[in-house]
Amino acid sequence: MKKLAIAAITLLAVIGTARADSVLVLNSEEASYSILSRSTRTELARLPVGREPHHLVVSPDGKDVLIGSTATNELLVLDSKTGERRRVVRDIIDPYHLGFSPNGKWFVTVAYRLDHVDIFHADGFKLAGRVFIDGLPSHMTFDAGSNTVFITLQQSGRLAAFDLATQTVKWNVPVGNTPAGVVMLPDDKRLLVALTGEDGIVVIDAKDGTQTGRLQTGKGAHGFWPKGDGRHWFLSNRVEGTVSLVDTQDMKVAGTIKVPGGPDCMDITADGKELWVTQRFLRRVAVVDIEQLKVVASIPVGKSPHGVFMLKSPPAAPGSPVSPTGGPLRAVSTGSGTTR
Amino acid sequence: MGELTDLWVGVQNWLFETFVGPVIFWLGQMAWYEPAYSAVEFVMLGVVQIVVIALGMRFFERRWPLEKAGDDRLIGVDRVYTALNKLGIVPFAIFVITYPISQEIELLMRSWGMAPPRLERLLPWLGDNVLASFLVYFVLYDFAAYWLHRAQHAAPWWWALHSLHHSQRRMTVWSDDRNHVLDDFLMTLALVLFSQMVGVQPGEYVSILMVGRLIESWSHANVDMSFGKVGERLIVGPRFHRLHHARANPDERHIHDHNFAPVFPIWDILFGTAIYDGKHRPTGVDDPRVDADNGRGWIVQQVTVFGRFLRAVTPRFLRAPVQPGLRPPAE
Repeated sequence: MKKLAIAAITLLAVIGTARADSVLVLNSEEASYSILSRSTRTELARLPVGREPHHLVVSPDGKDVLIGSTATNELLVLDSKTGERRRVVRDIIDPYHLGFSPNGKWFVTVAYRLDHVDIFHADGFKLAGRVFIDGLPSHMTFDAGSNTVFITLQQSGRLAAFDLATQTVKWNVPVGNTPAGVVMLPDDKRLLVALTGEDGIVVIDAKDGTQTGRLQTGKGAHGFWPKGDGRHWFLSNRVEGTVSLVDTQDMKVAGTIKVPGGPDCMDITADGKELWVTQRFLRRVAVVDIEQLKVVASIPVGKSPHGVFMLKSPPAAPGSPVSPTGGPLRAVSTGSGTTR
Repeated sequence: MGELTDLWVGVQNWLFETFVGPVIFWLGQMAWYEPAYSAVEFVMLGVVQIVVIALGMRFFERRWPLEKAGDDRLIGVDRVYTALNKLGIVPFAIFVITYPISQEIELLMRSWGMAPPRLERLLPWLGDNVLASFLVYFVLYDFAAYWLHRAQHAAPWWWALHSLHHSQRRMTVWSDDRNHVLDDFLMTLALVLFSQMVGVQPGEYVSILMVGRLIESWSHANVDMSFGKVGERLIVGPRFHRLHHARANPDERHIHDHNFAPVFPIWDILFGTAIYDGKHRPTGVDDPRVDADNGRGWIVQQVTVFGRFLRAVTPRFLRAPVQPGLRPPAE
């Protein structure tokens, strides 16, 4: 009984601390999420979550963070400020990657291993349509008008555009070997697609899927995260063990950060000073000083850390833009934040 | 503990990024990038197990051997089995076949909206306790392994394969992996499907395999040891398991149909198959055709045992009239 009381007090203390400055990390191979302290750079708690959690997304109102528990067909809903568990949404099949449309009306999940895309009415998670598509659908981004969701197909090396209202495929084009992260730029015309089976990214015309450019970044180009200035995006290169800073205006690599251990998902602190990157293979999360473009700390977490999210993100004000995957945009409008 | 994890993961990462990852990338098979990383850990765990067996368990066998006399040349082939299994060569071949089958079944279930039933839904506290969770899943896994083991003895066609494991007359810490690859495949497939059904995590599965296989290697040791009067009823030790490998004799025709449990003897106690009599019996199979496995090399054993299996699955009217070794000796 005494032990139980101590555990309860400790948990309360952890949650209390989590309110101050915390980071949430999904440990995909051990069914847990870690809550880290940004200031002390330590793990405060490790809590259970479903099975094989990979990605997460913030609700359009900024109040919740939704974790996709792929092997249990569930979403775990946490308070986006404190990390406290709120509820579980069941019967969401294989929610590997997930996102809300910018207008908050649509909620989309990709069933990576089941080869289908589910488009829900975000209000109440009612399934509007399921589209079966070959090739391991993996990551997504939306257009600003919330008409289309663009999804990479890792195995078939293609990018497909889906009409949200009709739940049909608008176009489906080859883009390269193992496309993963995809992001819509603020001009709402160009898409960047990371080619994990190659060493860079391609630029795709969102209108019809035409390839208009290519940029070499590093082997295993994988996931994007916006720097917050509307111009630069961070890009993890999983095989190369680096994170590139991509200047999307001049389409060049503006900087490269060595991040060993299969860097994957990223998130940026509210002050824009630090980029946190999950190091899948090292069971750690790297903290990158954005000004110096170098890793300044690496924090141990659970096995195969994947999604990462800064708790206490500023909630979106009513009517303010949200990122295509649902997170409130930080600083200026930057288009889309994708994989977490 | 943190430093040890860092060291372990550091080695794994180095091996992967230096040797395995570039090959996967070059082959354009990035969908296998994560599984390949796990495979590196599997091989590393195998090396650790071999070291523990060779340096730790063998010490007890050398210092306090139960059977002092015997043909040590019979042990050599078991070392080959151990190396092929622990270093991932046989498991890799099995994985290549098992993985798509288990995935298809799991994905089919999930596409019907059937998620694996997690124990944590029934016992929420389990999710908050890593050790308790590991133990519960370990016990469940062992329960399944117990019944599969009984099936290996009960079904004539399966016994035709499994009798290879029992045929060793010089049982040692190297004997645990002495199995026909088809037997390994069937057991792996069944246990993987069971694990998916009850919701074992991939990480937990590796831990269960690691701890379980070490206990099983030890239980084959050539020593007369147990974990004590109470302990031997909690964890399988060499004395308990040696009885399971006992050669049938006129007074005990079914002696090997006892003490089936791989790790937790509770299953034998509960289901009436436990014997704790402390007697020493010679090991092996009382059947000349099966006994002939002794002295054969790995390839010959695999081929001849497969022949036994084919004969066992052949309809009775097509078989030659007498064919010992296809089933456990009858009463």
